[in-house]
Amino acid sequence: MAAVKKNSFIPGLVIGSFLFYMLIPILATYVFSIANRWDRSILPEGLTLEWYKVAFADPWFFIVFKHSLILSITTVFASVIIIVPTAYWVHLRNPKARPLFDLISTIPFAIPGVVLSLGLIRLYARPPLMLARTPAMLVAAYVIFTMPFMYRPVVNSLEAVNIRVLTEAAQSLGSSWLRTITQVILPNILPGILSGGLLVFAIIFGEFTIATFLVGARYKTFPMQLVYYTRRDGRIASAYSVISFTIAWVSSLIIIWVVAWGAKRTSARNSQSTKDLTTASTGDQR
Amino acid sequence: MSYLDLIHLDKAFDEAIAVRDFNLQVEQGEFVSLLGPSGCGKTTTLRMVAGFETPDTGSIFLSGKDITSMPPNRRGMGMVFQSYALFPNMTAWNNVAFGLRIARLSTSEIKTRVTELLDLVGLSDVGHKYSNELSGGQQQRVALARALANEPKVLLLDEPLSALDAVVRVSLRHEIRRIQTALGITTIYVTHDQEEALSISDRVVVMRRAVIEQIGTPEEIYVQPDTHFVATFVGTINQFPGILVDAPRGLVTNISPNWTISAQPITDGKLKNGDAVTVLIRPDEIHLSHIETVVNEENSLTAVVKSITLLGAVTRLNLDLDGHPIIVDIKTVDRGRFFLDEHVQFSFTREACSVMSDIDTVSNDI
Repeated sequence: MAAVKKNSFIPGLVIGSFLFYMLIPILATYVFSIANRWDRSILPEGLTLEWYKVAFADPWFFIVFKHSLILSITTVFASVIIIVPTAYWVHLRNPKARPLFDLISTIPFAIPGVVLSLGLIRLYARPPLMLARTPAMLVAAYVIFTMPFMYRPVVNSLEAVNIRVLTEAAQSLGSSWLRTITQVILPNILPGILSGGLLVFAIIFGEFTIATFLVGARYKTFPMQLVYYTRRDGRIASAYSVISFTIAWVSSLIIIWVVAWGAKRTSARNSQSTKDLTTASTGDQR
Repeated sequence: MSYLDLIHLDKAFDEAIAVRDFNLQVEQGEFVSLLGPSGCGKTTTLRMVAGFETPDTGSIFLSGKDITSMPPNRRGMGMVFQSYALFPNMTAWNNVAFGLRIARLSTSEIKTRVTELLDLVGLSDVGHKYSNELSGGQQQRVALARALANEPKVLLLDEPLSALDAVVRVSLRHEIRRIQTALGITTIYVTHDQEEALSISDRVVVMRRAVIEQIGTPEEIYVQPDTHFVATFVGTINQFPGILVDAPRGLVTNISPNWTISAQPITDGKLKNGDAVTVLIRPDEIHLSHIETVVNEENSLTAVVKSITLLGAVTRLNLDLDGHPIIVDIKTVDRGRFFLDEHVQFSFTREACSVMSDIDTVSNDI
C-alpha cells in the first residue's frame, strides 16, 4: 500500500512541477493584462479591462491583425501546394532521395532567421526578381522557414498508409492520376496536412524576426505591434499577448471543428448510402 | 498465339538482373502460379504484366494486342496485393464500388454489382465497415471483390495469403480457386509457398535467380522435377550425392555412406558414367519396416530413429544412417509402430529415385 502511494506521489510531483513551470508565465501574462498595477506588491493592485480597451481602440490593431492573418493563411496554402506534391513524388518515385529531403527539411532549424532574411534580401533585391521587402517575399521566406513543420507530418502520414501500394491499387482499378491523388492519396494524408497546417499557422502568426528584417514597417504584423507596446506599456503588451494566444487557440479549434465536421459528414454520407444499399439488398433477399 | 503471351521479358534494376528471358503462354481461364524463393523475379514479372514495371526488352501480348508499354490504368487487370491495399478512407462497399464508378456505371448497376461481389466473397454484411474494422482475411476478401469488380481480363495476385494465419490461408486459398473456376477468369498467382502453388494451380512456373527453372502441371513439378532446384524447393526431399557408375542399369555409388543405389535406367544420354550426381527421394516414397521383416525392394538399409514429429495426417521420422540424415514420412496412424533409437529397415523402389546432375546443385539457395 505504502509502495503504491510512493509510486503515485513521485510521478505526480514531476508532472505537477512541469505544469507549474510551463503555465506560470502564461497565467502571469493573463493576470498582468487585467491588473491595475503589479510592480509594487506580490499580488496585483486591483483589476481592470482598461488595457484591452486601449488595444482595441488603436486603429492599427485591426490592420496588423489582418496582415498577420493574411500572411499565415497564404503561407499555409503555399506550403501545402509546394511541399505535399514534392513529398508524395519523392516517396513514390524516388525513395533513394528521401534521406536528402529529410536533410533539406532540417536546414531551417540550423539557419537563424536573421541569416535567412539577409540572404534572401541580397538575392531578391536586384532584377529580374524585385521582390525584396514585399509581403510576397515574406511568404516565400516563411515557406522555407516552416518547411520542417509541414514536411515531417506529411511524410509521417505518407509512411503510415503505404502510399505506393494504394497508388498502384487505384491505378489497377482504372484510376487516373488526378483521381488517385484527390480521392485516395489526399484523404489519407489529410491528418498530416492539417497538423502541419496548424503548426505553420501558429508559428507565422507569432513570427517577429524575419518579418521585421524582410518588410519591417512597410507591412506591420501583429507581433511587431506587440513589441511596439512592450516598449511603451507592458500591460497593453500583455493584453496583446493574451489576444494572440486566444486567436491561435480559437483558430486551431475552428480548424479542428471544421475538419471533424467535414470528416463526419463524409463518413456519415458514405455509411448512410452503404446502409441504405445494404438494407435494400437484404430486403431484396428476403 | 495464346490469350496472354509473355515473350522474352528481361528486367534489371541498377545492374541487378530481376528477370531474364521469361517466356510464358497463358490460355484463357487458366490459373498459373509463379513459384520461387524471394528475389527470384516472380513479383517483378507480375508487376510487368500489371504495368507497374516496364520490361527492358521483350513484349507482352493480351488477346493478340501488344500492351507492353500501356499504362496500368488502361490494362483492365485486377490486382490483389499482399498488404490488401484497401483504401482506408472508404468503407468496404466503397472500395468495391471504386472501379465501377470510374467505369461510369449507373448507381443502380453499381448497387447490384457490389452486392453481388460482396456476396461472392461471403461478406455481404460488412459493406459499411472500414478496413481497420475488418480482420486480415476479411480485408483480403474485400480486396478480391474489388479486383473482380470490373470483370478484369486477367486477375493478378501478389502473395495474397502471406500475411494471414495458417487456417485462414488454407480456407481462402480454396475460395480463390472456387471463385476463379466459377468466373473462368485468367489468373496469375505469385507465391513462395510450394504447397499453395501445387494445390491451387493449373500450371506452375518455378523460378530461381531471375530465370524459369520449370513450367508444368503441379503433378509434373512434384513427380518429375526437371532440375535439382525444383526437386528440393518443391516439397521435402532426401538427397544422396554419389557417382553414376552404370547408366543403363541406373546404378549410383553413394559416397557417404558407402552403398549403391539402384535407380531407373538412364538412357537419355544427358548423364554418363563417372558423372557426379545426386539421387533424390521423397520422404513419403520411403517404406519403413521392422528389422526382421523381409523386404523385396532393391534398395534397403538399416538406420536408427532419431526423432519422431507429428505433422498432422503424416508423421515425420528423422533417421540416422552412419551420420547421414534420412527423412521418412509415415501415416500418423502407423506412428505407434516405431520408437526412438530403434534400428529400423528403410527401403525404396527404383521408380522413387530421381537422378540429377550435380552441375546445378552447387548453390542450394532455398
